[in-house]
Amino acid sequence: MEDYPEELRTPPLTLVSIVGCSELHPSISAALSSQQPPMNTLALPDFSKASILARSAKTRDPLAPPQAPAGILKKDWLLKHRTRVPAAVAAMFRADQVSGDPAQWLQACSDLENLKSVIQGRNTKLVVILVQAQAGDELSEDVTVALRKRAEIDSKHLVVLVERDESEWTKSLNKLKSIFTELCSTYYKDEGRRIKARIEKRNFSSVELSIRYCFKVAVYAEFRRDWPEALKFYEEGIRVLREMIGTSTRLPPTQRLVEVKAIAEQIHFKISTLLLHAGKVVEAITWFRKHIRSYERVVGSPEVAFLHWEWFSRQFLVFGELIETTSTTVPDTLSPRFGTADNALTEWEFQPAYYYQLAANYLREKRYALEFSSSSVNITDGVNGIPESVMPSVYVGQYVRLFEQGDTVAVLPLSDTEYTSYALSEAERFQDSYEIIALFRKAYESFQSLGAMRMASACSGGMAIEYYAAGDFSNAKQLFDGVAGLYRQEGWATLLWENLGYLRECARKLNSLKDFISYSLEMAALPLFSGSGQGNSENKSKNGPAGSPTISSRENIHQEVVNILEGKHAPEITDDGFNLHLVEESTHLDIDQISPLRIVLVACVAFHDQSVKPSSPMLVSVSLQSHLPSPVTIDKLEVQFNQSDCNFVIVSSQEDYSTSNVHDGAVQVTSLTLFTDKWMRLTHEVKPGQSGKLECLAVKATISKHLVVCCQAESPASMEDFPLWKFEDQLETLPTKDTVLAFSGQKLIQVEEPDAQVDVVLNCTGPALVGELFTLPVAIFSKGHAVHSGELKINLVDAKGGGLLMSPREAEESESHHVELLGVSALTTEKGSKEEVDNIKKIQQSFGVVSVPTLCAGDSWSCKLEIKWHQAKSVMLYVSLGYSLESIEEAALHRLNVHRSLQIEGKIPMTVGHQFLRPFRREPLLLSKIRSSSGDDKKSSLALNDSNMLIVSARNCTEVPLRLHKMAIEPDVDGKQLCSVQQISGISNEYAVLAPSEEYKGIFSVNPQIISSNFRLGEICLSWSRDSSLGQSQDNCVIMKERLPEVHIEESPLVVTMECPPYVILGIPFTFHVKIYNSTSLLQEIKYSLVDSQNFVFSGAHNHAAFILPKTEHIVSHKLVPLGSGSQQLPRITVTSVRYSAALTPPSSAATVFVYPSEPKFSSEKGYSAPDACIS
Amino acid sequence: MGREVAESCVDGVVMEMVAAYCGRFYASKPELAARRIEAIGFQVGHQLTERYTMERPRFSDHLEAIKFICKDFWSELFKKQIDNLKTNHRGTFVLQDNHFRWLTRVSIDPSVESIDANENDSTSLGDSAAQTTSMLLYFPCGIIRGALTNLGIACSVTADMSNLPACSFVVRIKT
Amino acid sequence: MVVCVAVVGHQNNPLYLQSFTEADDALKLHHVVHCSLDVIDERVNNPKRNSPALNETFLGLLYPTENYKVYGYLTNTKAKFIMVTTDLDVKDADARNFFRKFHAAYVDAVSNPFHVPGKKIASRSFSARVSTIVRSFSSGTTA
Repeated sequence: MEDYPEELRTPPLTLVSIVGCSELHPSISAALSSQQPPMNTLALPDFSKASILARSAKTRDPLAPPQAPAGILKKDWLLKHRTRVPAAVAAMFRADQVSGDPAQWLQACSDLENLKSVIQGRNTKLVVILVQAQAGDELSEDVTVALRKRAEIDSKHLVVLVERDESEWTKSLNKLKSIFTELCSTYYKDEGRRIKARIEKRNFSSVELSIRYCFKVAVYAEFRRDWPEALKFYEEGIRVLREMIGTSTRLPPTQRLVEVKAIAEQIHFKISTLLLHAGKVVEAITWFRKHIRSYERVVGSPEVAFLHWEWFSRQFLVFGELIETTSTTVPDTLSPRFGTADNALTEWEFQPAYYYQLAANYLREKRYALEFSSSSVNITDGVNGIPESVMPSVYVGQYVRLFEQGDTVAVLPLSDTEYTSYALSEAERFQDSYEIIALFRKAYESFQSLGAMRMASACSGGMAIEYYAAGDFSNAKQLFDGVAGLYRQEGWATLLWENLGYLRECARKLNSLKDFISYSLEMAALPLFSGSGQGNSENKSKNGPAGSPTISSRENIHQEVVNILEGKHAPEITDDGFNLHLVEESTHLDIDQISPLRIVLVACVAFHDQSVKPSSPMLVSVSLQSHLPSPVTIDKLEVQFNQSDCNFVIVSSQEDYSTSNVHDGAVQVTSLTLFTDKWMRLTHEVKPGQSGKLECLAVKATISKHLVVCCQAESPASMEDFPLWKFEDQLETLPTKDTVLAFSGQKLIQVEEPDAQVDVVLNCTGPALVGELFTLPVAIFSKGHAVHSGELKINLVDAKGGGLLMSPREAEESESHHVELLGVSALTTEKGSKEEVDNIKKIQQSFGVVSVPTLCAGDSWSCKLEIKWHQAKSVMLYVSLGYSLESIEEAALHRLNVHRSLQIEGKIPMTVGHQFLRPFRREPLLLSKIRSSSGDDKKSSLALNDSNMLIVSARNCTEVPLRLHKMAIEPDVDGKQLCSVQQISGISNEYAVLAPSEEYKGIFSVNPQIISSNFRLGEICLSWSRDSSLGQSQDNCVIMKERLPEVHIEESPLVVTMECPPYVILGIPFTFHVKIYNSTSLLQEIKYSLVDSQNFVFSGAHNHAAFILPKTEHIVSHKLVPLGSGSQQLPRITVTSVRYSAALTPPSSAATVFVYPSEPKFSSEKGYSAPDACIS
Repeated sequence: MGREVAESCVDGVVMEMVAAYCGRFYASKPELAARRIEAIGFQVGHQLTERYTMERPRFSDHLEAIKFICKDFWSELFKKQIDNLKTNHRGTFVLQDNHFRWLTRVSIDPSVESIDANENDSTSLGDSAAQTTSMLLYFPCGIIRGALTNLGIACSVTADMSNLPACSFVVRIKT
Repeated sequence: MVVCVAVVGHQNNPLYLQSFTEADDALKLHHVVHCSLDVIDERVNNPKRNSPALNETFLGLLYPTENYKVYGYLTNTKAKFIMVTTDLDVKDADARNFFRKFHAAYVDAVSNPFHVPGKKIASRSFSARVSTIVRSFSSGTTA
């Protein structure tokens, strides 16, 4: 658009001219141009210059038949009307010039005459301006009238300007402006009407004139801003113009076309501008489409096709720029089908980028056409040469030859051949590529910002092709690479093919063998639409250097790579050949899971097992597949693992590799040939040396001696589809024959640790007893492994779960655990003595770490764990031995572990019970016991100053015999004085052995000497140990303490004592006394009753009442005769104290007597058993 | 008459397919059989939607697609619509068919159950009957999933049959 | 004349592309079809402008480029059909009709149980049917 002349680009402005009084010109022209719409002023300083306005003299014989016009539009016509043909001329005179001196008046008159004659023949309007110095200066009427008459103008066209007065000046200037506006409008209307009349009368001899008139009418309409009329005539003009192409014969065909298109371009530009400025975007685009459509097929002869494409491209460029400058947006309010239903406009047509892209496309078309033309023309008529001094003619779109002969200069028309070679030589001077690139870049950036990735890619590709054409291969390569990514991703194989074809050539030109090979291989492995047509090689320019995508070209490319690698250069390759020394070295290609080269070679590795022991053999499958069109012969296949010991090499035996090349571990296989789309499956045996992860990293295939393709190994289970090939409608085969392996095979395997050849033995001797220091020997026997930097971890866990061996509440309250690991003592084998292990690293209540000394194979080591149970709990003991086989650092990282666990029960060794007993057949009345209602009284009540019996029993509840060393009652410190506790019977020997579930009883007499409602008697203190022959020492004794409950001590008011013989004989009467002692200082009334017993007959009252004096005893006696033998219940006595309203009944055990059938004869020792009988 | 024959054929094919996959091909791996049957259903659903959506505008949201499944798609397949559609508006839809055609011929014989109740394995037999029935439902689940996937909605479909022949399909759209 | 028809899958990958020109511009047509996917994306993602024809499968003229006009169609199953024609005046109704027939052919092709969803359409009978549809379109509009 910038190439267009100014007058075409901007809307025309009316032009007026002022003559004379040059000092006022600046202010007047400034005032006029600041008007809306502005007005241009052609200021002529004095009247002598007025001749400029004169028409160029035309020596045309008015009688001669109208000549056919030599062209459609003169180039300068528009400019002329904008700069040299004013619509109105104002002659300026100073008032004193015309009113005073007659000579001056005459001068003014002649000036006016001159001016009149100059503008004669045109419609130019005349205005006379009189300049007054001051408003007050009176001008004589006759002067103005005379002047008016001279000038032959209306009175209103004579304007008086007042120079000195600001307001008058403005006022008069405004008047002038309005006069000018009016006159201009009339002028342009008249002119327009004049020419329009010619059109309407069809008063013209040729089409050219018709077009010219249309153009003129439209321009005049534009002058007066009558846009619809302008549009109408432009459209008419362009319509006639289009029709002219076929009919006109004035110029040779090629030049005719050039002229028509030049005019069309101008008029079209005018129309587009008008429409866009009026905001009619949709109409403008529709119009543009129409314009394009009417000219797209008018290419002309093939030699000058480039002119057409250049012109065509310019149309798009200019329209794009117009759209861009008017900054249109796609009208949202419009329906999606802008325009008519069948001729919908689309989104992109509102985007400048769309036009830039097409402009670039057509400019490229021009480049192709130009290449074609220059090659053909140069050959055919090279003799003709380029005609000299060709220049644009006065008519738009025409060229002539300037012919100079001496002084005479003639303008000669050109023949088409001359014009063609001229145009060709002109066109060849320009390098189109960079312009095309610039256009594509503009479009690319714009599409990119619109988010149209594919459009942008297409533009980017266009740029790249131009760079390639211009020989800038590195830029081209970079752009092509970017575009190829999108095509790869979306699977557009054909487009990718074209792209890679360019890339391959770029790599060749840049002498990069590795890139060349990888691009070539990728191309060869592409899936191609079977339907794509057979290529004809002439059209290489359009298909890119790769030609059409066919199977055979794929094969050729593959073969070419092989040839290069094997050093067999095909003739056409040696031309631009790679340096041979490059080929001498091998080329490495790396293929990972995202590489586009995956279609060239993919390696799938699967272990047959899930896990394996170290150094035991295991099978691994390696499967390779290639999509290359021809079979690929692999010379050598290296499979690499993360444990390099496992790496192996497979060598094809067909290749005679020099022996030095072959590894020791290489396996020879008859043939390693990959056929297209077929899996090559190999199975090999590996022996992992170390435990831990074993992963196949890569498979390196050496192809054609110099190409090493390193494929990242993939697991069949997680193998992705092949890019591009996954859309092909072909059967997919599995990498391994075994379907399970194909779906779940992994390239990674966990090698297990070697079996530990060390044994850890936990010796447990039954359940542990609460309170004792339970020792648990742990022995480590090395059976085959040396133990280095061994470490024994001990962990105690609650067997019922719950982890820690204490409840959270207890953890807060105290530090004590229910089960505690107290220490570890080691028994060193040499000394045999027990000593504390000094290398205990850490001991906590439930966790410990002990280091184990280095052991040679066959050695053993043991230690003892000391654990103490505070409560009966079942505990899991976990012992794990971690060690390494070597003492060196790196091997130390690799540790073996042996785990053992054992559940140990913690048991309470003894249950302790106690029982208070009153003296035999003696019953004190304990009021507290009677008053408190039954149940809630757990406290035992003891009578004051009475010797109560306390029986303490300890039952062995373990399954092992225990020794009881001591049983004692330790009174509280303050209770010692107040209550005497004496042991009546105790352990006679050093200890008493208690068999499982055996009970030991100790008897104590308790004689309280103080009245107390809650008296602490003290603690039962037991000392026990396991009854084992080993543990003789007293240290092993465990003291077990249990607090006796508090007792209630009170004085009893009445004590009932029954007296009867120790035994009685059937049928023999005996006396039974009941003594009631009143220990109070009060008179006590008692009631007394005796219930009949069927085993006895007795004499005496059943019921009785008595008063007992203080501190005296009342005795009630009965005579009884036993009627049955055996242990018999005496008649039941109930003594009731009236004062305390408390009844006292001796317990039935106290009221029993044994009846012998006859007089027994037994030794006195046996009588001892009587108390025992009472207890049970 | 002809229709009934065709319907019986479909019933027969469905049952035979389930029997073949569960009983013969993957007898030891029931979950693999289920996957295979579901995959067959997936392809069937995938291809059927191509046909059944041919003459209709594109669906603008998930609900519209689900409604299509409930109404038109179901009518094409079973000559009836889904009886009840529920959704939590967060990508889960429950399609309930009170009379699911492929389950109308299925029954769990209560007499057989009661006889077996005397022996100790009544629960296992009841389970296996339920398992067989649920195997029948992998195919329609796959159909629904295939149809929705083809409509651009990635989802998972499970079936739930509490009382025959009613059946509900739960569609969970993956986000 | 229809110069090219294409089926594009939902990953924007070509599933079927057939050109019907003597001239060797197959590659160019690939470009044209590929670029038209941008327009489809735009139409589908910003449907506000498509209010009258909301969610219609027929997308209308996608864009004119050089001497081609590109028409688009998007099925409910997100398969894109693209038709490239050199005809200057194409009635929307004709294009619509063309796509309807094409869709039917497509459905028949992909309903083949041996066709794996998502793969290229290699069916020969589909190609034959498409050729017929293309021919009938060309004759229909020129007549």
